[in-house]
Amino acid sequence: MELLITALIIAAVLFGIGLYGALSQTNLVMIMMGIELMLGAAMINLVAFWRYLHPEAFSLQMFVLVAMTVMALEGAVGFAIATQRFRTSGTVEMEESAELKG
Amino acid sequence: MISIQLILLIIFGLAAIWFGWRVFMTSSMVRSALSLLGSMVAIGILFLVMEAEFLGVLQIMMMGTEMSIMAIFMMMYMMDPGGLGNMDMSHQKNVSIVAGVAVTILITGAALFADWGIIATQVPSAHEQNRLLGMEILKRSMMIFETAGVTILTGMIASIAVALSIKKSMEK
Repeated sequence: MELLITALIIAAVLFGIGLYGALSQTNLVMIMMGIELMLGAAMINLVAFWRYLHPEAFSLQMFVLVAMTVMALEGAVGFAIATQRFRTSGTVEMEESAELKG
Repeated sequence: MISIQLILLIIFGLAAIWFGWRVFMTSSMVRSALSLLGSMVAIGILFLVMEAEFLGVLQIMMMGTEMSIMAIFMMMYMMDPGGLGNMDMSHQKNVSIVAGVAVTILITGAALFADWGIIATQVPSAHEQNRLLGMEILKRSMMIFETAGVTILTGMIASIAVALSIKKSMEK
């Protein structure tokens, strides 16, 4: 039991750090780093649930592969937005993107 | 009883947390990207400790590449990539700290007080895991895997479309 709880606590702390980063940073690439940390924490949870609760259910490992896909896509689309933002306004600081507000 | 697995889990878990924390504590963008790489590698090693060998190796290889690309983008787009000017690139710090700490306490509480049932002691061997994961992908989860593939293709096209420069002829 202590193995599962240790893994879940590690993931919880990583998620908290990622959330802090995503909320506190003004730079687009740094915000993306926070999101990556949160996704990493979610993957630790998934692997821990597979290992310690249902080692016979490989759909959990499949779920980790989907999470990795989301991470890669988040990086690709995020960098594309950063490229376009840098081209149009010369910066990727989100404080200066107030015109994007709905 | 403290097992080797628990000790390794704690060591690499602390490493992942330490590197994750360093990402937002350094003013050098390159160091931030390298710290995130360290955190992701530590997460990959955690997968290996939890006997998910395939996912662990995949995580380390994928994140090694992604973080290297991220470091290049950091240097391209940052006004002060080396952090020599000590620029502060953060806002609403107190709200963010409260949100981060509150979510951590909430999830930790759920982990500690939930009834997790029976804990499995044995897992299939590494080669058997690969075979079973392959069977899962090719049978029950085939549609999900195919959807992930199509999503990657869509993401690639969307990224290129977003990053294209707007020509004057297109503006009209």
